[in-house]
Amino acid sequence: MSEVESRTASVATDREYSRRNFLKTAGWATAAISAAGIGGFGVAARYANAQEGDQPYTTYEGLGDVAILQFAYLLEQLEGVFYQTGADSGIFDEFTLAQIAAIRDHEIAHAEAIAATLGSLGAEVPATPEFTFPDGVFADPAAFLELAATFEPVGIGAYQGAAPALESKDILAAAISIHNAECQHRVAINILNGVNPPNDLAFEKALPIGDVQEAVKPFGITG
Amino acid sequence: MDKHTINMPGVEAFAQPATRRDFFKALAFAAAGTAVGSTVLTRKASAQSGGGDVEIANFALTLEYLEAEFYAKAVDSGVLSGDAAGVVENLADHEQQHVDAIIGLLEGAGAKPVEKPEFTFPADAFSSQDSILNLAATFEPVGVGAYLGAATLIESPDILAAAGSIAGVEGEHVVAVNNLLGVVPPANEAMPASLTMDEVLAAVAPFLGMGGMMDTGGAEYRDRTSFGRV
Repeated sequence: MSEVESRTASVATDREYSRRNFLKTAGWATAAISAAGIGGFGVAARYANAQEGDQPYTTYEGLGDVAILQFAYLLEQLEGVFYQTGADSGIFDEFTLAQIAAIRDHEIAHAEAIAATLGSLGAEVPATPEFTFPDGVFADPAAFLELAATFEPVGIGAYQGAAPALESKDILAAAISIHNAECQHRVAINILNGVNPPNDLAFEKALPIGDVQEAVKPFGITG
Repeated sequence: MDKHTINMPGVEAFAQPATRRDFFKALAFAAAGTAVGSTVLTRKASAQSGGGDVEIANFALTLEYLEAEFYAKAVDSGVLSGDAAGVVENLADHEQQHVDAIIGLLEGAGAKPVEKPEFTFPADAFSSQDSILNLAATFEPVGVGAYLGAATLIESPDILAAAGSIAGVEGEHVVAVNNLLGVVPPANEAMPASLTMDEVLAAVAPFLGMGGMMDTGGAEYRDRTSFGRV
């Protein structure tokens, strides 16, 4: 085996290892979503009657609006950097790029809106961590879109889970609008991934904060 | 708000109620049933008294009835083909699931779900795929805006959780329909807009046989019927 081949093999192994870890995480997140996503309104109806178990929003209660916003800010930064890097990668066709650039703009707008709100509350805007992404994700459109398809439900689940726990109605209004944008992104990514029909859920899914934290930890959000 | 303005084919042909009083009477029935009809129009006061969530849920149920019937008719029309057929079948299925879920929620809370009103659609609404998709493109942002506008008035966290779940799906419908209509990029709103109750009512009035009424009654009524979104 030549030196070049050896180096290639080594890189490939690293990539495979990294990708395996990522897929493990993504798989876990997906399983968590399935387990925690519990069917929207049906669950709400059950709770109205029986008070059984805990809804995802209960895991956000007591955190306070500031802590929830600070966490949401990091999620938006993660998504913003991801889509920014993707938009700059030069690997996408025109239609795909138009959507990715729009999503990038949306995530940046969300982060800025949250930062402004934190500022108006006199609260600290968290420093943006150095995010890590799976190898090759910005070199392969399919890998990028596959990762995007795992990001969006996490953001959706976080906002949807947090919304009932927010104290300020103004912040709730903003959060529920951002949540809607994230849902729209999920279907847009479905379209890019060839999911047909792309509108494939009757109810969107909330996530407990622990599941969101686990899902984003591999990318560098440890808060 | 311009993008949420309803601009439907044949809207002028819709019957207009004779008086504002008739409008509100019909609206109250459609939105919340005759028993609580008067309070649905004084949203803030009723929300404070604890009955607001039920009325909001019944109002949402009316919108879901409208969407479910529209898409069921669209599926039955036989004019859909290709990707549009699958998308609209899912839209019909989702809206019916929303109807069933809201009814379940209301009954579970010991409240009475409103009956489905009689809806009126433009004569050519189901004559072509384009007509169906264009109407869908007007319905869906109204649904999103209604849920976003109502969210801040919901008191029960369980109902808010459910409303958030459904609101997100309505937003997803916007994108699926945009894509069928060739809108690039299909997801193009950083922060989808909420609508006041007044705006929602104006948008759905034509389907309740009340087209154009909000031109005469809307502005005056705005402050009192607002969802309260600042």
